[in-house]
Amino acid sequence: MTAPLASAPSPTTLTPGTRAPAPRARTGLKRGNKLAFLAPAAIFLALFSVYPLITLVRMSMSAVNAATLNGDWVFTGLENFRTGFASGETTQALWRTGLFVVVVTVVGMAGGLAAAIALRTTGRWSGVVLAVMVFVWALPPVVNGSVWKFLLGDAGLINTIILKTGLTDTAIPFLYDQHWALASVAFVNSWSVIPFNALVFRAALMGIAPETFEAAALDGANKWQEIRHIMIPAARPTTLVLFVLTVVFAFRSFDLIYVMTYGGPGTATNTLPFLGYLQAFVRYDFGLGSATSVFTVLFVIVLAVVYARSIRREESES
Amino acid sequence: MSILTSGLRRTAPRPARRLTAALSLAVVGSLALAACGSSADDSAASADTLTVWHYFSDANQVKIMTDYADMFEASHDGVTVENVFVPYDQMNSKLISAAGAKTGPDVVVFNGADAGTLALGGALAPLDEQWDAFADKDQFPDSVVHTIDDTTYAVQGYVNLLGLWYNADILDEIGVEAPTTIDELEAAMAAAKDAGYAGMTLSGLPQSQGEWQAFPWLSTEGFTYDAPDAGALEAGLTRVRSWVENGYLTQEAVTWDQTVPFQKFAAGGVAFAQNGNWQMGTAASDADFEYGVVPLPLGADGQVYLGGEGEGIGAFSKNPDLAWEYLAETYYSADGQLVAVNNVGSLPSRADAGQDEAVTGNALLQPFSETIARFGANYPASVIPAAAVADVQLTVGQAWSAAIGGQKSPADAATSAVSTLDGLLKK
Repeated sequence: MTAPLASAPSPTTLTPGTRAPAPRARTGLKRGNKLAFLAPAAIFLALFSVYPLITLVRMSMSAVNAATLNGDWVFTGLENFRTGFASGETTQALWRTGLFVVVVTVVGMAGGLAAAIALRTTGRWSGVVLAVMVFVWALPPVVNGSVWKFLLGDAGLINTIILKTGLTDTAIPFLYDQHWALASVAFVNSWSVIPFNALVFRAALMGIAPETFEAAALDGANKWQEIRHIMIPAARPTTLVLFVLTVVFAFRSFDLIYVMTYGGPGTATNTLPFLGYLQAFVRYDFGLGSATSVFTVLFVIVLAVVYARSIRREESES
Repeated sequence: MSILTSGLRRTAPRPARRLTAALSLAVVGSLALAACGSSADDSAASADTLTVWHYFSDANQVKIMTDYADMFEASHDGVTVENVFVPYDQMNSKLISAAGAKTGPDVVVFNGADAGTLALGGALAPLDEQWDAFADKDQFPDSVVHTIDDTTYAVQGYVNLLGLWYNADILDEIGVEAPTTIDELEAAMAAAKDAGYAGMTLSGLPQSQGEWQAFPWLSTEGFTYDAPDAGALEAGLTRVRSWVENGYLTQEAVTWDQTVPFQKFAAGGVAFAQNGNWQMGTAASDADFEYGVVPLPLGADGQVYLGGEGEGIGAFSKNPDLAWEYLAETYYSADGQLVAVNNVGSLPSRADAGQDEAVTGNALLQPFSETIARFGANYPASVIPAAAVADVQLTVGQAWSAAIGGQKSPADAATSAVSTLDGLLKK
């Protein structure tokens, strides 16, 4: 690490308007260093991302069950994909996943922005609320799911409040009616992503110069106009990145469904990730489960490309 | 218990395949099991440590494991028994993936119905040599010995089954006797509801636990796996749905595993609970009312699974001899089986232990013994191919849950399930 520094030309030897000659030896060394720094990550990714993904695709095109998992895999082409669609399970799971993603994304993004606006100011209470949000964000999903399962039960806090206040005569079937159950797990997923979104949105809002708000106040802008004409435009570059991350988060969501409904009632909350789990780890049809997981991977890859492009654009604009 | 495995080809495992399989599972798992990790250690035990994987979370059931560990450690100086909890839903996949990596526990305590899946997955070591040489093997009925392709892989140290628990205080209050027929049960639930109590608790979870709870009510309508009939299945599902619609059973049961409904029963305010003999310890510790058990009030065709945990040796145990000694001195010994009787009320699988005063003198165990004689059925049904057991259980469990939860009408749930079962049972 000391060699490049030692060979670097002193700033005092450069005169304004002249360009320092390109040090060939140093450039070569830097390239070598770059490769050396890149290698661990590249090897890690190749071992733990690329190779398993290739194997996943291979498994999705093979007949693999508990008996053959550790033996030879017979190539079956697209049979697993055909089986998934022919049974109707994959199609239904795709629709449920789409609905789930829409709810989580809309509620998660709107909630995150609203929380960021509310917590934009610095102070003791916003600090306390932010700390609580970070705590919520850091909670393991299984804990989140268990707590919400308790809260949403017939005898849980939410139904107790609803019944005591006379809003309804009977408990709301949050987790055991097919429509409510999907909405409930989507809501809890949204709730768990709001803290992260709020923190990122807040960072964007904190970058707005105070003078902008002072000028708006002098012009007589009210709070809503400040939000609409100052804060939302300021958060716009962050929004696309956060949107992609939220969609990915929603798309691969599994834990809360596992804990809160186990895909039920019946199959009402079987989204793609949970269906893949059932097929691979409950039915031990690893080929079929892999085929379902490949769909998830494809969607996530598309979103990852969008994410990478938006990040690059944001960096170039800044 | 013979489990059919014809048509399944087994090939010699190769290291590359195992690595591939393990990594594949990691990918599928990372997509599906984002945060469902557990504390299970995949590495087999050291020379002085015996690792036992189990899925018990109930305090009384955990105490059996602790008592067995204490028993074995007391008679084997320097040996440590390490009981490792693995969530029920993850037990099989963890065992199979561990076997792919040539590792795993010394002793496995698993759902007996999954013996075929685990044996086919290479997670269990053959027990033929030890079992054939075991002096007390004649004490065990064939129904608790898990044999696949003429190879013994596990034996059950006890039998668990379902009965109908009742709250005697509530029955006294509403003036009814413990039911002996379905009509009497439904009349009693109606009376309990009118008196402000819940009628029944059971599990409607859309997986194997749901299927286990459903089978008595489905079989009493004539449903079997020998020739699955949509009409019989629909009749069974219609009955349980009517319990929901009449207010005897909460629809919330679709979110309950078998532990929760018994906790609800033990808390009071519920007339009946369909649950097992293993809840005896929980009833004694949690219920502050008089309670009793009767056989499930089924018809002539009714069947109740004879379940329980199978105990076997991990395929890659580093201490297979010590593991066998552990099994022989705990689960398979008369004294060991009485530990399970006293802690949770499990019925011993040994004939001599079954004649012990702890069993014959226990009034709560008698209805379960009577159930074995009247309704006892192999679990899983022997007609189900080993490779299809998990699929069959999930299919019927989902139909049961869909009917209770109102996701599908009983007719639709039955038609859909039988269509799937027809394919699975031909595997």
